[in-house]
Amino acid sequence: MKARIVSREDAPKIVDLLRERGYEVIAPFGGRGRDTFFEPVTDENRGRIQIHLPNPDYPPKRYVFPPMERLLKVERRDGELRIEPTYDEKKRAIFGIRSCDVAGIYHLDRFYLGREFADIYYEKHRRNLFLVNVACTDAEMDIGENCFCMCTDTGPAAREHFDLQLFDLGVDGRGGELMAVAGTEAGEALFTSAIFKKAARAHLERRRVILEEVRKRFKPTTTSWFSAAIQAVSRGEIPDETWDEIGNRCLECGGCTYVCPACTCFTVTDRAVEGEGVERLRVWDSCALSGFTRMAGGFNPRRAVHDRRNRRFFRKLAHYFIERELSMACVGCGRCVAVCHGDVGMPSVVEMIRRQTAQRKEV
Amino acid sequence: MRGWHVHEVASSPDRVKHPCVRKNGKLEEVSWDEALGFIAEKMKAIREEYGADALGFLNSPRCSNEESYLLQKFARAVIGTNNVHHGTGVYSNNSINVLLDMMGVAASTNSIAELGQSETIVVDGVDLGKRLPTIGGAVIRAKLKGARLIVVGTRRHRVAESADLFLQIKPGTEALLYGAMAKVIVDRGLMDLGFIKTRCRDYAEFLANIREYDLLRVAESCGVAASLIEAAALAYGGAKSATLMFSASMEERSRDSIRAVVNLALLSGNLGKPGAGLFALTEQNNLQGVCDLGMLPDRLPGYKPVTDESARAAMDALWKTRVPAQPGIGSRAMLGHRGQGKVKALWLSRYDPTNTALLGDVAGQLRQLDLLVVQHLFMTECSNYAHVVLPTTAFGEEEVTFTSTDRRIQLAGQVVEPPEGLTPGWEQIAELGRRMGADWKYGAARDVMEEIGQAVPFYSGADYENLARDYGRQWPCTKDRPLGTRYLFGEGDGGGEELPRNDAERPFKFVAVPKPAERAANPRAFPLTLVFGNSLYYWNQNVLVRHSETLKREYRQLMIDYPQGFVEINPEDAERAGIRDGKRMRLCAANATAAATARITPEVRSGTVFVPHFMREVGQQILGSSGDSFRLVPVRVEKEPA
Repeated sequence: MKARIVSREDAPKIVDLLRERGYEVIAPFGGRGRDTFFEPVTDENRGRIQIHLPNPDYPPKRYVFPPMERLLKVERRDGELRIEPTYDEKKRAIFGIRSCDVAGIYHLDRFYLGREFADIYYEKHRRNLFLVNVACTDAEMDIGENCFCMCTDTGPAAREHFDLQLFDLGVDGRGGELMAVAGTEAGEALFTSAIFKKAARAHLERRRVILEEVRKRFKPTTTSWFSAAIQAVSRGEIPDETWDEIGNRCLECGGCTYVCPACTCFTVTDRAVEGEGVERLRVWDSCALSGFTRMAGGFNPRRAVHDRRNRRFFRKLAHYFIERELSMACVGCGRCVAVCHGDVGMPSVVEMIRRQTAQRKEV
Repeated sequence: MRGWHVHEVASSPDRVKHPCVRKNGKLEEVSWDEALGFIAEKMKAIREEYGADALGFLNSPRCSNEESYLLQKFARAVIGTNNVHHGTGVYSNNSINVLLDMMGVAASTNSIAELGQSETIVVDGVDLGKRLPTIGGAVIRAKLKGARLIVVGTRRHRVAESADLFLQIKPGTEALLYGAMAKVIVDRGLMDLGFIKTRCRDYAEFLANIREYDLLRVAESCGVAASLIEAAALAYGGAKSATLMFSASMEERSRDSIRAVVNLALLSGNLGKPGAGLFALTEQNNLQGVCDLGMLPDRLPGYKPVTDESARAAMDALWKTRVPAQPGIGSRAMLGHRGQGKVKALWLSRYDPTNTALLGDVAGQLRQLDLLVVQHLFMTECSNYAHVVLPTTAFGEEEVTFTSTDRRIQLAGQVVEPPEGLTPGWEQIAELGRRMGADWKYGAARDVMEEIGQAVPFYSGADYENLARDYGRQWPCTKDRPLGTRYLFGEGDGGGEELPRNDAERPFKFVAVPKPAERAANPRAFPLTLVFGNSLYYWNQNVLVRHSETLKREYRQLMIDYPQGFVEINPEDAERAGIRDGKRMRLCAANATAAATARITPEVRSGTVFVPHFMREVGQQILGSSGDSFRLVPVRVEKEPA
């Protein structure tokens, strides 16, 4: 990987470089309070781009896997049915994607592209996507109270799967500097611009020191106990009472799955569009909903909410799935903690498993 | 679940994109000019011929504050009638009058964010998990932090599973239960005498009345153990701060049961401090705001009665017109048989009464109107009878405000472009007002809010600039108090420093609730009690749900599983009668029978059979023509012979 230095002032110019190359650039922007949102960069909001911001509650996965996407259109024309697929092949770049979300997109890659059949709709989005990762180095802005990427080994600075990574080296005499690391050839191609300067060994050293420091800035409450939880779930050591308690606290809103950067489930549905025929849609689905596993005949293998809830954690923690995708479906972003009404987001569940396993050992 | 899918509704291809007027029996697309012109002419003619009270205006508790304010202003100031109401059926706000009478404010007193400071939380009746999951979440989180959670109700819903005490009472016995709890608090000396002496009236009458409640007999009537009632009373009365939440949106609740709730809060001094209070939960996103802004036939914006001359004078001055002194009729009357023939024209704003199952033949009523105007995103069932359909912008396509159940006035910004040609509902009402001679100059929604601030004192500081600064402001939000009010009746809100000199100056009032007659035990031959109530099933027909792919699937499940509808029965009762899920069963009352499909669920209390309102035939067969669905009917269930 090649590294360069870019001044803090010049950093937003990376957005300009990408826009010149025909990308629609998406970046997080601040709203009320600590609210942030991914939005397309325009000439109007270009000046408000920030490097350090709380990670938006709504993950960037919608740029590769939209909440609702037309797959194809069926039309009757001249007595014949015509089926026409609709692809979105827009060139997009996400500027300021956090390391956890980079891991989230990688997980989606593994799921949609990593096995026998590649999902063509996903592939078209993904092939046109350029990721500018910003490493989380600002303890106030970047690290939220629910972040636990340290436990899932996905942050605070991604090691791969980005096109370009920006790492804030702080202020050092001459004004702020960022280290830019290219993760792909496309990323490296940007280095031809004059805004990128040579990096020295001292820069690397500073990166190392800052990274070490920032690792200590995560809230202790979020240190969870992942590997042991994976073991307990994979071996079927979780007693029913634990799943019952988790299920009782789930209000079946589906929020955890909609904000999860690594959740992949969707359903397919058809609807009529006046004057156009029928469109087939792919819509985000959620294992929290009872319609998710209900079969056409009415039988529902996961009818009780408890059974549905434990499925979420099997899917994310069981060894079988991790091995199948060579990637874990939890990236430590902490969004499920923020949205879960019943406080059964990932860290709480891992904690419940830890407590219960500890108790069992005492007995 | 619903909030995650708003985008599906707004992006539905079925949105109405052009105003339509019925010509030769068919709705035809016309220009805005033609549609509004047609309405104005027609309204003038109807008013001319039948008088202003022949027109009625109903909206949904999902309408924005601006839209609600302008609609009632249009009715009162331009047309000259008080026939305004938010929709009824599945909606109502049953607690307004009781709360105004006893506390002077018709709203929740405290903030949801304060629940974490409550020692005890009582949840009465409402299924928080399904109806208000955000509040359900706040309750569960407070409980995890150590609050004691008491759930009262006939159904074992999701939040009940997390309760420390679950009082699964027999239907209709809430007033008895709270009376008995008050008696326990008094007997144990847990009442807050300081609070009562300085801030409450009519304590003596209440005290005399409460003696009539006998714990053991109440326990038997309610069908829960006396020890459980006692424990609940001690947990509530003994807490430093305790919260009590009930639904303001259930028509079944008697006023007395709400009075009993308020009495309990007064008795234990649980008003005017953080982490305490009463929550009159409004289950629709803007039921609070719609009521605040006067979509009530008998109350002006800010809850002053229409019959109050000085309140009318204030509106007259602001609106430069004369507000009629005669209270209007409510939605139930407008749509029910009492309104027959009297109401000639009806305006329905984002409201479709044909699928709110409580009412009788609404379609028949609508068919007879001389003018029916429907303002909606979609062609609803009632557009079949509409003379004019006005399509509006959706949530997210307009900048407006909503007021949440904890009095928070929130600014909802515009985040997406509306389909071409669509305007916000409030703008259409304003334009119609101008066409009918009003001198209305609202350039943007913020101008409407400006005027609301003049009409409703407790909204006077809630201009858009202020609202945009934070996540909204909780009313009273005034010029002196721009940050709003987290909880009502706190220090400095009158009543803090100086003791009121006489009884009349105390802000709160006890109201003695005559002890309800204890219901006689069911006759042996009819051991179960039939209860009528709302069910989420009706969401199947809700027009917004129908246009969201995910919600449609979720709410359709019940319809697919029980295509003929269902009545609900507890597993124990079902087993005893040999009834299986999805099979037909017969409900036998003393002199009527009905048949229905059984849905077996542990949510229903053993000893009761729950009949959702949409099962109209069952209601008609069992209750006969009276249709009094608040009555509890003793029944027996039997397997229907094959």
